[in-house]
Amino acid sequence: MLGEFEYLLITAAAGLGDNAYGASIREEIEATTGRKCSIGALYTTIDRLETKGLLKTWMGDATPQRGGRAKRMVRVTPKGVQAAKGFYDAVMRVSRGASWVANRTGSAS
Amino acid sequence: MTGIGWSLVEVAGQLLEREERESVLGDLVEAGESAWQGLLDVLGLVVRRQTIHWKSWRPWLAAFGLALPFSFLLMGFSLSVSRSYQNFVDSKILANGLTIGAGFLLLISHIFLLIAWSWTGGFFVGSVSRRTLWVSIASSCFPCLFCLARFRESSLPRLCLLLFLVPATLGVCQGLRITRIKLRSAIVLAVIVTTLMIPLWNGGLWTLDWVLIWPAWYMVASARKTNREIGRS
Repeated sequence: MLGEFEYLLITAAAGLGDNAYGASIREEIEATTGRKCSIGALYTTIDRLETKGLLKTWMGDATPQRGGRAKRMVRVTPKGVQAAKGFYDAVMRVSRGASWVANRTGSAS
Repeated sequence: MTGIGWSLVEVAGQLLEREERESVLGDLVEAGESAWQGLLDVLGLVVRRQTIHWKSWRPWLAAFGLALPFSFLLMGFSLSVSRSYQNFVDSKILANGLTIGAGFLLLISHIFLLIAWSWTGGFFVGSVSRRTLWVSIASSCFPCLFCLARFRESSLPRLCLLLFLVPATLGVCQGLRITRIKLRSAIVLAVIVTTLMIPLWNGGLWTLDWVLIWPAWYMVASARKTNREIGRS
């Protein structure tokens, strides 16, 4: 099963589609979670997920706004989509009945 | 990306692989990070990468099982070879050529052993710890500096301690390039070194010098393993 950060990364990459690369994924994670995402955590997790076959990466084109340096493009594989769906389902299942879930069954006090 | 801070980021980035350096430094520019934050980010990634490498036994063995102790032993043997050379030259002059044969053979054997031990040790370091090579180099530098600072022999130059560095460096370069040598070459090298050590043991070799032989036999084992894997597939 995926870890929390792995799930965040796959979900951010999937949402960004063709525009998923290191800086954009990092920005997306920071914007949605409100937490700082270090480059070290990002790149080591990308490598780990690629080793597991959940992501595919390749070097993209260099752009002037990056000082002429290339991007590491990221794409979520079908296996990655399955893993993320599995994680999401597990979180949803385990969250049923939790007091912080808005439409939970049972009484909240 | 200008200024001292970004120069430091560039230097730290050299510890990353080329493609990763390219994408990481590009990300920092795009995100508009300050140089110091960028430096912390790059160093953080370097530390994480190095931590992953050090989970294996290979870099530990290369740096602290080979580079560090072998440097001490090979410096001692470099000194021994230099003395053998000095004795050979002196005896050649004094005895007017009478002892040239035996002395020359001994000197040649010592030189061959020094080259073989240093080269095989360097090859091992280069082939098993390419991503942590800088630690192995630092481990080798420590004994070199220690011994150079304490060298008191007046009849020989200090540099004679470092004779082993040339073949060792060549071995490292070769190890980085090809990882394994052919089984036949590995066996020939290991057998010659072992055979040569037996008669020389009583003639000046230190018992501890036998430790220097294992990289040669590791190369044999490694080449044999590769041949078996090729045979299976």
